[in-house]
Amino acid sequence: MLLLDYQNVLIQSVLTERFSGAAPVSIDQTVSDFDGVIFHISTPETKTKILVSIQIRCFGDLVKYGAEDVLRREYGQYVTSPEAGYDFSVLVDLENLPADKEERDELINKIALLKRNAMAAPFEQAYEEYYQLREAASKFTSEEAPQGVREGGDVKVIQYREEEAIYIKASHDRVTVIFSTVFREETDRVFGKVFIQEFVDARRRAIQNAPQVLFRNDPPLELQGVPGVKNTGTGEIGYVTFVVLFPRHLTPQRMPDVISHIQTFRDYFHYHIKASKAYIHSRMRRRTADFLQVLRRARPDSEEHKERKTASGRTFRAQGS
Amino acid sequence: MANQTPAVVMDNGTGFSKLGFAGNDSPSFVFPTAIATKAQAGGAGGSGSGRPAVANKPSFLTGGAGPGGHLSGKRGTEDLDFFIGDEAIAAANGPGYGLHYPIRHGQIENWDHMERFWSNSIFKYLRVEPEDHYFLLTEPPLNPPENRENTAEIFFESFNCAGLYIAVQAVLALAASWTSSKVTDRSLTGTVIDSGDGVTHVIPVAEGYVIGSSIKSIPIAGRDITYFVQSLLRDRGEADSSLKTAQEIKEEYCYVCPDIVKEFARFDRDRSRFVKHVVSHPGGRQVSVDVGYERFLAPEIFFNPEIYSSDFLTPLPEVVDTVIQSSPIDVRRGLYKNIVLSGGSTLYKDFGRRLQRDIKQLVDARIRASEVRSGGAKSGGLDVQVITHKRQRHGPWFGGSLLGQTPEFRSYCHTKAEYQEYGPGIVRRFALLGGPGGS
Repeated sequence: MLLLDYQNVLIQSVLTERFSGAAPVSIDQTVSDFDGVIFHISTPETKTKILVSIQIRCFGDLVKYGAEDVLRREYGQYVTSPEAGYDFSVLVDLENLPADKEERDELINKIALLKRNAMAAPFEQAYEEYYQLREAASKFTSEEAPQGVREGGDVKVIQYREEEAIYIKASHDRVTVIFSTVFREETDRVFGKVFIQEFVDARRRAIQNAPQVLFRNDPPLELQGVPGVKNTGTGEIGYVTFVVLFPRHLTPQRMPDVISHIQTFRDYFHYHIKASKAYIHSRMRRRTADFLQVLRRARPDSEEHKERKTASGRTFRAQGS
Repeated sequence: MANQTPAVVMDNGTGFSKLGFAGNDSPSFVFPTAIATKAQAGGAGGSGSGRPAVANKPSFLTGGAGPGGHLSGKRGTEDLDFFIGDEAIAAANGPGYGLHYPIRHGQIENWDHMERFWSNSIFKYLRVEPEDHYFLLTEPPLNPPENRENTAEIFFESFNCAGLYIAVQAVLALAASWTSSKVTDRSLTGTVIDSGDGVTHVIPVAEGYVIGSSIKSIPIAGRDITYFVQSLLRDRGEADSSLKTAQEIKEEYCYVCPDIVKEFARFDRDRSRFVKHVVSHPGGRQVSVDVGYERFLAPEIFFNPEIYSSDFLTPLPEVVDTVIQSSPIDVRRGLYKNIVLSGGSTLYKDFGRRLQRDIKQLVDARIRASEVRSGGAKSGGLDVQVITHKRQRHGPWFGGSLLGQTPEFRSYCHTKAEYQEYGPGIVRRFALLGGPGGS
């Protein structure tokens, strides 16, 4: 498993089972997703009406960047008033499903992607801004472009975790996405650095048209003046900058994929740090086993079969290997 | 934020792993504890010694590439090429993958596989960031403390989990029985009968501590019942006597009867008790299988093992009685009063009732005998109660979910900071969750 899935596996499996025509049962499950997102799947009224609610910490931020429109576009008729304590809810009536199997599967996928779609809003908005700016910029040469066009749009801040945020900025020739990451753990920080370095190098070595990735410990210039950006100077916070520069990433057709990928970046990053540790651990165990083998072989033979005496005078044979 | 995230409850058993979040009434995922890796027969996982198979020559002599091409020779992402759970079984049916079961007899044998199994279950299935969540894991009774330490090392060092609690499955099964209306005092004293697929354990627990010296296990469990059903089907020459059919029949039609002889007579009087089970084969062909006496004979092997096995002949009620009699005398009353069932093979209808009756008979006979011997003294009698409840199937998991959602759960966990302060040895002891003064 190199990449993480975008959809929530549990929602997917629950809905697939329910949609397949099994006898309706009542469901009441609270499940969690990355970044402190909490889902609640329940059947509050009748067993055939499944309510899926989502709670996202940064929902306020997302609404500011048009999340409600995106969600309304994606879920349309299924949107319902949010359940108490949650930010957004979708209601599916099992008696009123699309008849076609493919459409049903699509609906399942759509609901499983609830988190992804909610988080997609600011990215989509940034894309939108980029198209406008590109349009505007094409009228000028780079020197005489007005200030607003040259600088690009505002920085969008999504405080998706307590200490970590995604910053998105659209300009006329690129979209910049910056992740701030915090490592509690010294080891993780080292792993993280090596890992990010690999991203930077990949561009140099093999994949020339990969997006540019930068890693630094102080806030990049784009973030100057953005509230909430602190420079601790301790190196605990790192900033990973993705410059989505190439036209092929910026086409409307590629947009959904790019957004899905970039959203899971943090989880992907942490997953791989953990996977690397597991890999190193397995090599360590292997090496220990090897060393034990060497030690076992190094034990002199002669001692093994000597008879020994206990304090009470009984004799016994020492256990040899 | 750390106050909001639900705790993750993972119950990794020999056969199946139950994963989910505390507060839910059923696990989110139940899948086989299996991992499929790129096949290297005889490589890692072999030899049953719990560590990767050892090279014939130390690696520095073979230039780092041991036989079978271990991970050390690989520089790519081969270590991520694996599947767990149902996907693993599917992958192992195809070419290129070998199936491994990292847990044997309830204990983790292959830590490499287990670490990857956990990593995948956390990131792929549960989709949580381990740094944000507390974890509640389970272990079998009599798990060596070294295994606990290894588990803690993986959870704290690989996954950086926020906090960890390792509970004994039997204690959690007791906690799960609190949902039954028969339980009033929420004590952690009782006898747990845990019958899964491979083996049945009878575990006495006194105030949350397992009485290790009195644990007894019975080599009769779910799989044996399936085999027994299968042999009955074969004897009759049914059209389909595959293991899968036998298992379906076992799960769908079997129940426990109060008396075999009467039950035979009842079947002969009332033909409607014989049912037909329809097996649909892939390809649309349907075969009908008769289901007869095995409906009550199959679970009967717990109570009369001689009809199935020739080397194990002690009935379950007798084993339970022996276990309680070998426990300290001051807890025996509590152990008789609270006999809790757990695991899939205890789900047969009237299983609890029959067990209670049989144990009661044993106990009453003994009391009468001692009354006679004492010459006139009267006993106040002994209360025997077998608790059947709705959460039996995933008993330990549900108990974990119940305890994991209590507000004080976090204070019982060991946190990452404590681990770093004291080292892995810290997990040898846990404060008793849900014990006196708790929830």
